Amino acid sequence: MKGLFKSKPRTPADVVRQTRELLIFLDLHSGSRGGDAKREEKMAELSKNIRELKSILYGNGESEPVTEACVQLTQEFFRENTLRLLIICLPKLNLETRKDATQVVANLQRQQVSSKIVASEYLEANKDLLDTLISGYENMDIALHYGSMLRECIRHQSIARYVLESDHMKKFFDYIQLPNFDIASDASATFKELLTRHKATVAEFLSKNYDWFFSEFNTRLLSSTNYITKRQAIKLLGDMLLDRSNSAVMMRYVSSKDNLMILMNLLRDSSKNIQIEAFHVFKLFAANKNKPTEVVNILVTNRSKLLRFFAGFKIDKEDEQFEADKEQVIKEISAL
Amino acid sequence: MEKGKRRGGSSSSGPQAVARKRDQFPSRAKDYELLEPVGDGATAVVRRARCLPLGGEVIAVKIMNMSQRSEDDVNHASEEVKMMSTIDHDNLLGAYCSFTEGETLWIIMPYMAGGSCFHLMKSSYPKGFDEKFIAFVLRETLEGLAYLHRYALVHRDVKAGNILLDQHKGVKLADFGASASLYDPMINRHGKRKTLVGTPCWMAPEVMEQKEYDAKADIWSFGITALELAHGHAPFSTQPPAKVFLLTLQHAPPSLHNTKDKKFSKSFKQMIATCLMKDPSKRPTAQHLLELPFFKKVKFEDNVLKSVLNKLPSLGDRMQSIQENEAKLQAEKKPLDKCKEKASQDEYMRGVSEWNFDIEELKAQAALYPDENDGGEDEYLRFLFELDTICESAPIHDVQSRDYSKNENEKKGRFKVTVEGAEVEKLEVATPREKELLERIASLERIDKRSNVMPTATVAKSKYNPS
Repeated sequence: MKGLFKSKPRTPADVVRQTRELLIFLDLHSGSRGGDAKREEKMAELSKNIRELKSILYGNGESEPVTEACVQLTQEFFRENTLRLLIICLPKLNLETRKDATQVVANLQRQQVSSKIVASEYLEANKDLLDTLISGYENMDIALHYGSMLRECIRHQSIARYVLESDHMKKFFDYIQLPNFDIASDASATFKELLTRHKATVAEFLSKNYDWFFSEFNTRLLSSTNYITKRQAIKLLGDMLLDRSNSAVMMRYVSSKDNLMILMNLLRDSSKNIQIEAFHVFKLFAANKNKPTEVVNILVTNRSKLLRFFAGFKIDKEDEQFEADKEQVIKEISAL
Repeated sequence: MEKGKRRGGSSSSGPQAVARKRDQFPSRAKDYELLEPVGDGATAVVRRARCLPLGGEVIAVKIMNMSQRSEDDVNHASEEVKMMSTIDHDNLLGAYCSFTEGETLWIIMPYMAGGSCFHLMKSSYPKGFDEKFIAFVLRETLEGLAYLHRYALVHRDVKAGNILLDQHKGVKLADFGASASLYDPMINRHGKRKTLVGTPCWMAPEVMEQKEYDAKADIWSFGITALELAHGHAPFSTQPPAKVFLLTLQHAPPSLHNTKDKKFSKSFKQMIATCLMKDPSKRPTAQHLLELPFFKKVKFEDNVLKSVLNKLPSLGDRMQSIQENEAKLQAEKKPLDKCKEKASQDEYMRGVSEWNFDIEELKAQAALYPDENDGGEDEYLRFLFELDTICESAPIHDVQSRDYSKNENEKKGRFKVTVEGAEVEKLEVATPREKELLERIASLERIDKRSNVMPTATVAKSKYNPS
């Protein structure tokens, strides 16, 4: 076989086809103990093929990728179930090949064939693959590889929508707080991407799922005992609420007394970073022109304390915007 | 495969080199007993520690305080940890696991009892190592670097301080704090990066100039590291960052010269010269370097490392004696020297991830070093002598004038470089290439005045008024 490939250069489609055959073999013979030598050989062959796919897509350091070759590769890749096989077999590959495979899958998400993103169409027809990728966060071995594939897949709006609307969204609140920092922060990056990338989709998701989502967000993330979780959550909350496309959601959020109480507690957090991020959300409560009575009551009850707090609230760097916002907040609270 | 071939007699056969799986390590701080510190930086401390549930197995833990760090830094740390947990190579320092404890991030890693080459030189080999040892260490480092480059990862902080040694675990390149993937979305379509990171002395010219750069920038740093190991310090190591920039950009690349105590082989000198080509495209890849005679002739014997590491006191003791020595030196020094020493030390510690091209700060630091300064002059001139005449495209004429016997003024005029007012003093002879570089630096500084190169983490929040 080897001799054959040396004599005749393979086309990108050939490399995909051979990769697929090897993946099928690996999938069928996963448990078998006999034929270990044969399996080893196939594995080595597979690793070589996947590396070659990578060098076609990314170039090999000496030459740039060739568009025509990428198109051929992409077409053949999605003609059949190569992506499915690759994802399913990933845990059986060695670490180096997993990394190559991850980079191949990432690149394929951006490849166009006659100005259509084939990967997006394929994933829409095979949404269960996203379920597989997301459940990767429960397996330490493959979490980071599946995680980075997943982040590439949700670049497609329709795929992000699928994940947002699925039950998986609830699981992210667990994944973000996994004890392993690398996996937790990968999940957190995906979560953030889901909630910020496709504006209209996110706005629709937040309106429809307002109650459970913010209840989870407040109780599990903003009240987390994990410093990094809490810090990233308050930052994300600010990013979401300050986005104009989410203004309806923001109005709803800042009209709640419970939310205000959580934010006021975060203002007193021992970490300066958290205080500052909390301020960026708190200012929205104060600036709201139609504050509900319960919000006004809390602000008025705590007026002197709040004013004293803001008088001493400074950040290390000079920041005109921050100072202007603070002044505005002080004015609003004093005028109540 | 290529690993297995040569690993028979070296690192992995050591009795302690039992490969631990990542999931064996608990992700709770209370499962680790912290011992003495073995390394520290501006943002993190590394300590020796025991993993209690694993029978007290000795590991190293890097503890980073995140409370003072920006959002970007946190993301950065998570990239570093992700990279450390997905690499699998004998010559790269991976992570067993990582977790947060309060406001700190803990990264559990293999313990490298020999410490870094930098510390080893500081404590026991102030004049550098012999060629045989250097060849071995560099070869191992290169294997790790070649692996990173295969995955389109640029290390961006190759230096002796990041090369760790252990009798049983071999040589490992560490600290991925600055590394970056050429495949990530930060890059332009040619797969090259443009951010200014690195420790100044080891930084490739194209990185300093903020041109596009790729894995070849690591090859430059690798060449500088070779000089560092041979002499005990990097070229220009006593200079403030601003001067290092100017010296690197303006002059012919540094090269290896025989010293009083040591002779170096031709193949070693040539290897360094090919790494230190100013034109990155002329530098070899890591893989090609491994094919050079200098590395091919390296034998893999345990005793290369053993002979150096065996007779040394423990890493913790060495770290302590380095610190004590430094404290003593500091106490004897004049105040000005103290500042300098501190600045240079900080610069080293900060390394790549921390490097922030703040031109005002650079100027302030450069001001600490008056031109042709008193005590430092000898050292300064010595470095100039080390500059060699390896010419690439344009010949660089300034080499001949480097002579103690030459007219004092001429010599000074030649090398007087200041960054005051974003103007570099006129040189008596300037090649077109030099002129161009000087102009580039000047324009670089003008740009930096307007905005810091490294964007700070504050994200401007729009003032949004709900109504």
